[in-house]
Amino acid sequence: MSALKQPQPGMSGRVDWTFVFAVIGLVATGTIAMLSAASTTMFYQAILQKHFIALALGASLFSLTLAFNYQVFQDQSKALYVIALVIMAAVLVIGTSTRGHRAWIRLPGFSFQPAELSRVLVVLVLADFLDRRALRVQDVSTVLMSLAIAAPIMLLILKQPDFSTALTFLPMIVGMLFCAGADVLQLLFIFGFGAATLTFPLVYTLCQVRFPNAAPGTLPALVMSMSKMGWATLATMLAIAGLSALVWRLLTWMRLQVRPFAFIAFPLIAASALLAGIVINGHMKSYQRNRFVAFVAPSSDVQGAAYNVIQSKVAIGSGGVWGKGLFSGTQSQLGFLPERHTDFIFANVGEEMGFIGAGLILGLYMIVLWRIVTAARQARDRYGYLVCAGLASMFAFVMILNIGMCVGLMPVAGIPLPLISYGGSSLVINLWSLGIVANIYARRYALL
Amino acid sequence: MNRAASGPRERLEILWLVIAAGGAALGLRLAQLQILDSAEYRLMAERNASQMIYQTAPRGRIYDRAGVPLATNQPSFSLIFLPGKGQARQDLEPLARELGRQLGRDPQDLLETLDQAEREQTSARLAENLPTPTMFQLSELKTLYPGVDLITEARRYYPFGRFASHLLGFMGKMSPREWKMRKAQGYRADSRIGKMGLESAFEDELRGRDGGIQMEVDAQGRLKRKLGEIAWQPGSNIHLTIAAAVQKAADDGLRKSITGRGAAVAIDPRNGDILAMSSQPDFDPNALLSTDPEEVKRISRALPEFNNAIAGAYPPGSTFKPIVSLAALNEGRITSRDTFFCPGYFKLGSRLFHCDKHEAHGTVSFLKGLAESCNVYFYNVGLKTGGDRIERYARAFGIGQKTNIPLRGEKSGHLFGPETRRKAGKGWYDGDTLNLSIGQGELTVTPLQMAVVAAALANRGKVWRPHYMQKIVYVDGRPDFVQKPELMSQIVAKDSAWDLVQNAMEVVVSSGTGYPAKIPGLIVAGKTGTAQNPHGKDDAWFISYAARPGESPSIAIAVLVENAGYGAAAAAPVAKKMILAAFGLPDPDVAREAREAERAARRVLKPAGAALPRPPLPGGAR
Repeated sequence: MSALKQPQPGMSGRVDWTFVFAVIGLVATGTIAMLSAASTTMFYQAILQKHFIALALGASLFSLTLAFNYQVFQDQSKALYVIALVIMAAVLVIGTSTRGHRAWIRLPGFSFQPAELSRVLVVLVLADFLDRRALRVQDVSTVLMSLAIAAPIMLLILKQPDFSTALTFLPMIVGMLFCAGADVLQLLFIFGFGAATLTFPLVYTLCQVRFPNAAPGTLPALVMSMSKMGWATLATMLAIAGLSALVWRLLTWMRLQVRPFAFIAFPLIAASALLAGIVINGHMKSYQRNRFVAFVAPSSDVQGAAYNVIQSKVAIGSGGVWGKGLFSGTQSQLGFLPERHTDFIFANVGEEMGFIGAGLILGLYMIVLWRIVTAARQARDRYGYLVCAGLASMFAFVMILNIGMCVGLMPVAGIPLPLISYGGSSLVINLWSLGIVANIYARRYALL
Repeated sequence: MNRAASGPRERLEILWLVIAAGGAALGLRLAQLQILDSAEYRLMAERNASQMIYQTAPRGRIYDRAGVPLATNQPSFSLIFLPGKGQARQDLEPLARELGRQLGRDPQDLLETLDQAEREQTSARLAENLPTPTMFQLSELKTLYPGVDLITEARRYYPFGRFASHLLGFMGKMSPREWKMRKAQGYRADSRIGKMGLESAFEDELRGRDGGIQMEVDAQGRLKRKLGEIAWQPGSNIHLTIAAAVQKAADDGLRKSITGRGAAVAIDPRNGDILAMSSQPDFDPNALLSTDPEEVKRISRALPEFNNAIAGAYPPGSTFKPIVSLAALNEGRITSRDTFFCPGYFKLGSRLFHCDKHEAHGTVSFLKGLAESCNVYFYNVGLKTGGDRIERYARAFGIGQKTNIPLRGEKSGHLFGPETRRKAGKGWYDGDTLNLSIGQGELTVTPLQMAVVAAALANRGKVWRPHYMQKIVYVDGRPDFVQKPELMSQIVAKDSAWDLVQNAMEVVVSSGTGYPAKIPGLIVAGKTGTAQNPHGKDDAWFISYAARPGESPSIAIAVLVENAGYGAAAAAPVAKKMILAAFGLPDPDVAREAREAERAARRVLKPAGAALPRPPLPGGAR
């Protein structure tokens, strides 16, 4: 009502300039950091070239996205979902693999990493789905169907295999379901399951590192014996999990009061989570296992798995308040810092630009996230609201995971820092998705 | 307007709170790393990225009492190679050839070393301890081939070579265990430490702080650039009370003695300064610093580590008689006029105790008894005086006690007497008194103890604690450590008793058994000793002191030559050389030896010259 009284400004008046300048600030800081961090690599010229092409492409995509109504994406939701499925399938067929990951589609002139594009597409598709299910959002079917929509894409990403990127889908989906108004208890069940699943390998690794010679009968020994489960036990646990799911679904369908069954469901979910954890534990690649080890016991092996984390912390800590100056960080420039222009670029910023630079990036990120949340708050429709909530969850989680890894608060996950890390397709996709946010905000009063 | 329920929009605020909490946590963590703990991480980053090419610092010098250097340092040149960028194997070949020629090593090996350094971009130490002429030739290479560099290091050097080797000690590599213990003090795995004597006892003072060239290295250990040079800090200098001339005389004298094994100690009776401390056989500490590890191993295996002067315990034999005399005279048990008859043997019960060589001295007075070292006379004196008194005097002279000289391995010897026996729960018999009177039996002393005894006889009762330290001049600005003389005990005796003993000791040298130590123009007193050694031939002893007429004695000496028989023949000449050196007098032996050597050289040259086909000399001379 109050909005109606306001004069309708022109397009430039409606754009969230705080948001735009924060994004420009992030990209600019990232570019400077990249110029310094990549200077010791062999392909410095090529990296610069690719970065600036991606920057131009991303900037134009950002502006272009502002130009038309974002609701187009809602209308074309099915098409977007098909695109996401096709590219993720395509990457497994025609993709090229680097370091064991088949994650790239190489086209003449440029190569392209589709996982992040599909992640944004899933946000758009889910927002449409949840918008349509607005009246039944409290149903458990909404949660399960949301997961079902994301599952094929996540499985295709896991197939690459890229565990970390697939993992980033979960907080994003939770964030969207939560903001859409889903039942908190259901979310707790499902994501409690997810968390428990991840906890088991952590606890297992911890026991392995801390108590390598635990006597049989003690708790660590018990935990460790869990991982060596026979097929029979595995089948039994699967049966229990299936049965409990069935009973639960039946009761919900019979419209009985669900809440008391939480007491039945909790142990069942815990048990099946444990099982899933065991499965994950058994299928973990050695580098993934090493990351767990590095996280639970950082000082266990300085030259091995924990090396990256320690070098990153040393880089950031040694930068101090003012930093060592661009091109003069000993940790980055002399090669102690691994992946210094990609995953660990934040450590490079911390070393060369100090607390000022690292704090600037963190601050700009918080401004961007605040503006995305604001855009969600002010969005003219539920679709826009959900898209913004999903993107805010996604960016926040990825940012916290990456920076947390650099400062030693999170386990090592091979995830780049959006807008800062080097990566052409990532920069383009991220700028495009932020363009959608700007679009939603600019059209908060009128669709134009 | 708000088509969505107001409920979910509240959830957005919760989402935002969660995000903001995450951001705040990261911000706090950043502040912790970059502000609170920054100094620690900066240190870690520096340690990551730098490497030192060390240069060994000069060790503190050791001087004698007049400032003559006994242990110094020599600049030693090491050749290092710091590879440049993009030097191919072919570029290194001429360098390897040239170096091989200069150093006398296989160029192929050198090329391998150079090439490896180049590939790994690390520094290589091509040669150590280069002799000066080679160094000059190599410094030319430095201008021709980039990357080759000479660095100067300090290497321990002992100018006199075989000289007071047990006192000074030597330098050697650390065992892995030693290194583990010393790592924290800044020692490197290839550092040398003092292994014996002063070098070991004053390791902390003598050792300097190593300097070096600090290089920046990358994660693969490749050298990036020179960050700077850290200057070394030399160690503290030590000034000893040793007189180089006396020490040299002692070393040479013992080495040329009959068996070449033994010890000699000279002390200034006025303050306890050790003027010389020699133990033979000795070693050349310079040889132990050789760069050839095989040679060092060979020498170390045969190293005579035993310092006879402090770690050897021998029966003192007749050199103990002055103590017995002083006890008897001072206690009034005999007078100088009392005489005893010596038939060549002494009968105690059914046992016979003999004089040396079984020769009869006839009627013996105190002067004759000491001058001719008549055992029978002293058997009588001993029985009159009693074992208790003799033991008390011997203890007052420091026998049976360590002097606590700061050197490893000092022995206390063994004081043998009724009280010691009592403490051990055993009895004392007259036969033991007889043995004690002539310094035999279970009595053992170190040469250092006997030098202290000689000094106390010279200065009439002052038993100085012997010391070799004059002062330590610290480099770090601490005030110098200056050694003060310290009395172990003071023997109070009547002047008449001292007069008689000192007079008798002078007669020993002027007309008694000690005549080989006689020096015209000096008052030399002494006592010979021929101590029975259960393991072999008798040990030869000589204790002595000397003074310019009208002055108080300024040197007291104890000389022991193992298994050399008569003290007069083997030990006294060594003491004579030392006294001559102490008073700055020419040694006739040295002059004679020089003349003989010259004559011998001429003898060798003549026939050799004659054997050569001689070219006809112009002018037809000869």
